[in-house]
This record gives sequence, C-alpha cells and structure tokens, in this order.
Amino acid sequence: METNTIIKLKDVNFYYGQSRALTDISMTFGKNKVTALIGPSGCGKSTLLRLLNRMNDLIDGTRVEGEILFEDKNIYAPDIDPVEIRRKIGMVFQKPNPFPKTIYNNIAYGPKLTGVKAGDLDALVEQSLKQSVLWDEVKDILNKSAMNLSGGQQQRLCIARALAMKPDILLMDEPTSALDPISTAKIEELIEELKKHYTIIIVTHNMQQAARISDETAFFYIGNLVEYNKTEKIFTKPDVKQTEDYITGRFG
Amino acid sequence: MKWRYLKQQIFFGLVRASALIVTLALGGIIFYIAYNGIGAISWDFITKPPTDSMTKGGIMPAILGTIYLTVGAIAIGLPLGIASAIYLTEYAKQGRIIRFLKVGINCLAGVPSVVFGLFGLGFFVIFLKFGSSILSGSLTLGFLILPTIIGASEEALKSVPQTFREASLSLGVSKWQTTYRIVLPNALPGILTGSILGIGRAAGETAPIMFTAAAYFTTKLPGSVFDEVMALPYHIYVLATAGTNIEATRPIQFGTVLVLVAVVLGIDLVAIVVRSYMRRNKRW
Repeated sequence: METNTIIKLKDVNFYYGQSRALTDISMTFGKNKVTALIGPSGCGKSTLLRLLNRMNDLIDGTRVEGEILFEDKNIYAPDIDPVEIRRKIGMVFQKPNPFPKTIYNNIAYGPKLTGVKAGDLDALVEQSLKQSVLWDEVKDILNKSAMNLSGGQQQRLCIARALAMKPDILLMDEPTSALDPISTAKIEELIEELKKHYTIIIVTHNMQQAARISDETAFFYIGNLVEYNKTEKIFTKPDVKQTEDYITGRFG
Repeated sequence: MKWRYLKQQIFFGLVRASALIVTLALGGIIFYIAYNGIGAISWDFITKPPTDSMTKGGIMPAILGTIYLTVGAIAIGLPLGIASAIYLTEYAKQGRIIRFLKVGINCLAGVPSVVFGLFGLGFFVIFLKFGSSILSGSLTLGFLILPTIIGASEEALKSVPQTFREASLSLGVSKWQTTYRIVLPNALPGILTGSILGIGRAAGETAPIMFTAAAYFTTKLPGSVFDEVMALPYHIYVLATAGTNIEATRPIQFGTVLVLVAVVLGIDLVAIVVRSYMRRNKRW
C-alpha cells in the first residue's frame, strides 16, 4: 500500500437485508486529505461513511462483503474490536448531537471512559475546544449545559468531542446541512485547519462546499462509485457525463 | 344540515356524560371514604397498635408492614425490571424470540393477583421455606409489579434518542458504558415515573400478601425479613369480614381505608411531580 493511503476498500458490497446498498466499491483514501463524497440522496455515500468506523454494525440485518483496510488491517476481520476502530476513526453527524451534559463533560466523557487520567482532562478539554475554535466562546461557561449552545456551536462542540479522542480520521456526515451559512462558513474554515493533522472524509449535498474544501471528490450513484478524482478535475472536466450532469444540477 | 348538527350534539353529549360518570365515581368513592373515615383518624390511630381484639386502638403495625412490603417489592422489582428492559431494548436482537418474550411479559401483567399470591405461597413460602414473611411477600409483590416496571422502562429507554447512542459509540465507548452512562441516566426519570404507578399498586394489593406475608394480628413488630407483618389492605379485609365485631369496627375500617388511599394517592402524587420535573428538564 502506498504510504499516503490510510484507508483502502477492496470490492466492498453492502446489504440492508436483501437489498444491496453498495456495489463493488474499490477506492483508497489519502492521508491528511479531505475527501468529499457526493451524489444524490440514497446513493450510498452515507452508508459508505458509516462502514468506515463500523457504525453500520448497529443496524440489525446488514452484511458486508469485501475488505476495508485501515493501516493495512481489515477492520471487518473477526479479531477486530469495533470499539477500538471507532477510537481511531471519529465521526461527526448530520444533526449536532451533544449529550445533555455540561460543555466540559461532553468533551471529557470519551477520554474519561477510555483511560485518560483525571489530571489531564482539563488540558485536553481546552486543547480540543481550541482546535474546534470554540474555546473563546465557551471558556467561561464550561459548566453550563451544552444544550444551550446554538446549532453551529453545538456542531463545533461535537467536532471537539471527536477530536478529544485523538483520532486519525474524522468522518463527517453532512456536518453543515442543519446549520445557517455563517456557522457553515466557520465549520468549513475549521476543516481547512484540521486537515493539517487529520484525514477527513466528508459527505455533503452542497456542491460548492465539496469544491471549496476537498482535495479529492468521489461521485456515487445508486450504490456505485461513478467517478473518483482530484476535486478540481471533477468540477472542471469530469470524465463521466453522469457526474457532469449531477454537478451542474441537471439531476439529483 | 340540521340533522347532522343534532347528531353531533348527541355524540358530544354522550362523550361528556361518560367523562362525567368516571369523574363522579372517583370523586364519590373518595368523598365517601373521607366522610366516613376522617372521624377515626387521630395521632394515636396511626402510631398505636390495635387493642381489644382489634376493635380499638391504632393501625401502626399495618402501616409499617405495608411500607416494609412496598419497599421490599421495589428493591426486588425495580433492578430486575430495569435489567430486563435494558436487555430487551438495547441488547437483544429484535426477532421472533423477543416478540414472544414481550407477549409473555404482557400476559404476566394480566395475570390475576390472587394467582401471584398462590404462586408465592407455593414457591417462596413452601418450596423455598421462607415461610409467611416480609421476604415472601416482597418477592411476590415484586414479581407482580415486574411487568409494569419492564413496560415503563422499555418505553423510557426507547424514548432516549438514538443519536445519543450513536454519539457515544462513535467515540469508541463500549456498548455497556454507553448504556450505563448515557442511555440509563436519560431514561431514569421516565423509568421511575412509570414504576411508581406500579408501586402504588403493590401497596394496595391484598391477594398476593394474604398467603405470603400478612398476619391476622400481631403486636410484635417484625425483627427480620423472615417475620410476618400486618398490612393495610389485609387488615381492612380482616376487619370487614372476619373481625370479632364487624359492626363495631366500621369506623376503624373506614379510617384504615382512608389511610391506605392516602398512601397510594401520595405515591401517585410523587409520580406526577417527578414527571413534570422531568418534562421541564427534557430538552431534546
């Protein structure tokens, strides 16, 4: 495997019960790159994202075929603990989903349960909130409920919460679709900053967003990977007509 | 047009009358008990044991016995019920076996309480040799309220948003820790509200404790869980059917009923307060 590849999919098929949601997906994700997954609703891009940290395990009656290699190991091998995988591959969801706890405890929750010493928590909380550019807004209200924050702040809190686990990869499932344009801009700036240290894979319905923030873009259609290339190439000279039609808004 | 309007009025009238009848029945019962029972209530009545073959004196041992039995039933039913509900909603693979189990639990809720009493007699009192005791009675009542607690807990656990579970699991926190640290604390107010209603039922039941725990008469307060106790519902039954002088003890009967109703309504009130408090704090 090339050194700048962090995840490699080999002939991945995925089924919800009898129906196939992903067909023969083979692709690689670059280390410290931002990769955007685009495509119309139901094309399987969110399903693919959730395969990467085994979140689809939570749904009864699903089945995976093929291999997903993370650092050369198949994360679906029987001896792999999905809990360990999720520590290294964090996730941010479509709707901000802070716990009904204080801001501080939202961040400290994961590290505390996975063996970070109590004495190190304060520093970790501060560091994570600074990374997600939320620190200045919340440093005086760390003991207030996270539910009082605005949607955009909540989403940056969720990013900080994921970062506190010090993951290698951050998966983002339409992280700005529930946010206003200003909050969206802040999250996009944040992604720009985070890609220096993390690999980011982001599902988005927003073409401009994919074009603005990603290095690579993959276009999916009904469970198939149609085209995968440098973002610039996809958005200027796509090889496949279907991709062009989708990007220019002719369908989707 | 006019006929349609008339039909509507008739239907509304019927619905209103039904609501009124229910309210009147409840109000009537409570008024009747309060009116006849209030005269018997005094400080001595609730702090002294019965005297003169239960025709005079208080009902303190019965109040205490009911409290012991109810607390015992909670101690047995609540952990068992919550654990079962956690298994059913969080861990079990949804399928035919689970559906069958749930039907079983619902059937258990419909089993007459006297059957629970006989089961308690056969299993706890005789087979396990616990005798007629607080322990046997608490176990029997605990099983009686189990379906209520399981049902309430299931509903409460299901009402915790799936996104909380996903958020926790996505951090690399294990399933058990997620259940224990996130799901359960958020479900607890709901679990308690539903369960308190079951507990109110446990306090008021006669049949299950009749064979398993309740003494006809004892001035001795229980020294251990293996002792028999008096209990309010059974005391009422005894006074009203088998007492030494049924007519003479009428005021005491009404007084005891009033105390029992007050205890049960008090427990229901706690449930209502907890629920409104919980709703105020619920923000998802």
